[in-house]
Amino acid sequence: MVFSFLRKKIKETINSIKKERIIKKVTEKKITGKEFNNFFNALELNLLQANIAYETIQAIKKSLEKELTGKQVSRRSHEKVIMNALKKALRKVLKECNSNELLTIIKESDKPVSFMFIGVNGSGKTTSIAKIANWLKKNKISSVMAACDTFRAASIEQLEKHGKALGIKVVKHKYGADAAAVAYDALEHARARNVKAVLIDTAGRSHANTNLMNELEKIKRVIKPDYTVFVGDALTGNDMIEQCRTFNNTTPFNFMILTKTDVDEKGGAILSASHTTGVPIMFLGTGQLHKDLKAFNKEELINQIIK
Amino acid sequence: MVLKNFGNALKESIRKLISKVIIDKKSINEFISDIQRAMITGDVDVKLVFELTKKIKNEILKSKAFSKKEQVVKIVYNNLVKFLGSEGGRIDTGKKPLKILLIGTFGSGKTTTCGKLAKYFKKKGLKTALLALDTFRPAAVEQLEQIGSKAQVTVMLNKKEKKAHKIVKEFKDSFKKYNLIIADSAGRDSLDKDLIKEIKSIHKALNPDEILLIIPADMGQAARTQAVEFHKALGITGIIITKLDGTAKGGGALSACAASEAPVKFIGTGEGLNDFELFNPKRFVSRLLGMGDLETLLEKAHEELDLNEVKDLGEKFFSGKFNLMDLYQQLQAVRKLGSFSKILNLIPGAGTIKLPKGMLDLQEDNVKKFKHLMDSMTKEELENPKVLNTSRIERAAKGAGNEVKDVRLLLKQYGQMKNMVKKLQGGNLKKMMKKLGIKNLKALEGMDLGGLET
Repeated sequence: MVFSFLRKKIKETINSIKKERIIKKVTEKKITGKEFNNFFNALELNLLQANIAYETIQAIKKSLEKELTGKQVSRRSHEKVIMNALKKALRKVLKECNSNELLTIIKESDKPVSFMFIGVNGSGKTTSIAKIANWLKKNKISSVMAACDTFRAASIEQLEKHGKALGIKVVKHKYGADAAAVAYDALEHARARNVKAVLIDTAGRSHANTNLMNELEKIKRVIKPDYTVFVGDALTGNDMIEQCRTFNNTTPFNFMILTKTDVDEKGGAILSASHTTGVPIMFLGTGQLHKDLKAFNKEELINQIIK
Repeated sequence: MVLKNFGNALKESIRKLISKVIIDKKSINEFISDIQRAMITGDVDVKLVFELTKKIKNEILKSKAFSKKEQVVKIVYNNLVKFLGSEGGRIDTGKKPLKILLIGTFGSGKTTTCGKLAKYFKKKGLKTALLALDTFRPAAVEQLEQIGSKAQVTVMLNKKEKKAHKIVKEFKDSFKKYNLIIADSAGRDSLDKDLIKEIKSIHKALNPDEILLIIPADMGQAARTQAVEFHKALGITGIIITKLDGTAKGGGALSACAASEAPVKFIGTGEGLNDFELFNPKRFVSRLLGMGDLETLLEKAHEELDLNEVKDLGEKFFSGKFNLMDLYQQLQAVRKLGSFSKILNLIPGAGTIKLPKGMLDLQEDNVKKFKHLMDSMTKEELENPKVLNTSRIERAAKGAGNEVKDVRLLLKQYGQMKNMVKKLQGGNLKKMMKKLGIKNLKALEGMDLGGLET
């Protein structure tokens, strides 16, 4: 479970409030600023360990502080009060979007709906595209994949193999070809054959590489995808902030997929990414197989963290 | 754009430390918690951060270096560098064939790194071959094949065989034709039992001399767990940090070093096969902590300052008994490190601290002159400058071979310094920092990581 670590830790923090009397036990009292700080210092460590970026933790702190300081609590209620405040803080940080609505949009569209997938190297763009294609197929929506990563060795072959396994057409050019031209051909193909969705792979790039980011901006300008999708690696630490922020500034995206959430139980990067960009998360990648794609559910996740 | 948020964390904190007239326990604590924050935001394992900083702090206190700013920085630096494998871990290529196995999580850059390693050693004149053992990810073998042809090395592969250890056996006999065999493996979660079983079977068949763990620079808190499990299963002999061309600090690598006691050997800095470097621990630490090359400053710090001198001075500052004698001592201390503004310039970012114009004069041109002037004063005059009347001033000027206006300037400087001391005592630190041109008071006050101090 993505957040089992955090759930355990929050529980521990709350228990330590009782044990160490971080919040003084009287029948009825207000939580003081000092008590809040003591509590949050303990919590902060756990949030850091859960791989939530520092900046995001500060946002959670602010929200909690506003909610808790000066709040009247009774001896029995403080645990519940804190849990509720935490939930509220997490709700502020996380954004979700409904994948079913997307299905309806694609089904009802009279022209192909195009998706451009972007992200840093090795975040799992190609694998995610195959998973999305599989998900669309399961929902009886036809798609075509565009091999617009014409840079990385065997990226085209990788997409082709997925296409073969899924029975989905891949539009490709040679390595070094113009990515926009490949996408254009894929869109043409979809229009001509009445294919509903076009999934455009792009080369992974470092957000710190201005030239490559400018290139991505250009590709987007030329192909004008209906949706831009950021694929982020959930194992990423504090750099998640910089990564998704830079990508969102250069090529604003509509929703995100966070991958490799099965690898580690400390899914903090999910919070960091959502908080930084305010862009909703649609899917979580949960494994190496095509079926390992899970619709992101905010409340479910929050309930995973806080019981 | 790059490193805009926390990159300056330690720069800021060193600036803080340097701008402090006195280094006491409190400023050491602040400094330590700044380092903690820099490391945590650089993705070093949180527990490890506390272990390390505790050690660093003890060392600082034990060495009594806390009265010497540069020494403090040096202790931090040395501790981290030592940890990462100070000799920059070479790979001994004496054995033939030397077998290297690359392991790591999904998308960490194993296959690309295979190509980089191959090219690196081929340039050194070693006959190198790549061995394609990622039989899982679609087109991983094709990727290695293409990379191999770019690097102009042989790639041993079997596109039909799904069992990697069988591929090892298939090519085993031809290994001896090469100096170096570099084996790629599938990305895996080291907590996944089946995948660990697979890598163990590869390990058994290949019997590699080096097992290199690939850690992407942007990996967060998962790095430690992953490294621990990989190390438990196979025994890691070295670490390669990839994607260091981004903004990430690579703190996960530090956690992996801790888990395996293996040194970092190489770093990947781009997508091209040549974007590959031998690991330089000093440069890495500078990056992790968000500071520039401190080498020069550290060399300077070798020239020991007289500990007691500075310490006494510190006490004087707080007791309020700051006289010309103390100014004299301070000037001497500064001279051992070169001029004050020079020191500031050695530290990236700190060069922007604006000292009041008068104070800079004090530190630079006039230091020698002032020393001579003070040398020609009596003990009484130095301890209680108030007694300096016109005739005494004239005498002091003559004795030093200087003019009366020089003595007046010295007294003016002294007055400024004394004022600052007063403000310091009055707890009016903010005003003083403002006077020193430190604008970002919020950053200086810290973002309250109080709980992080151990």
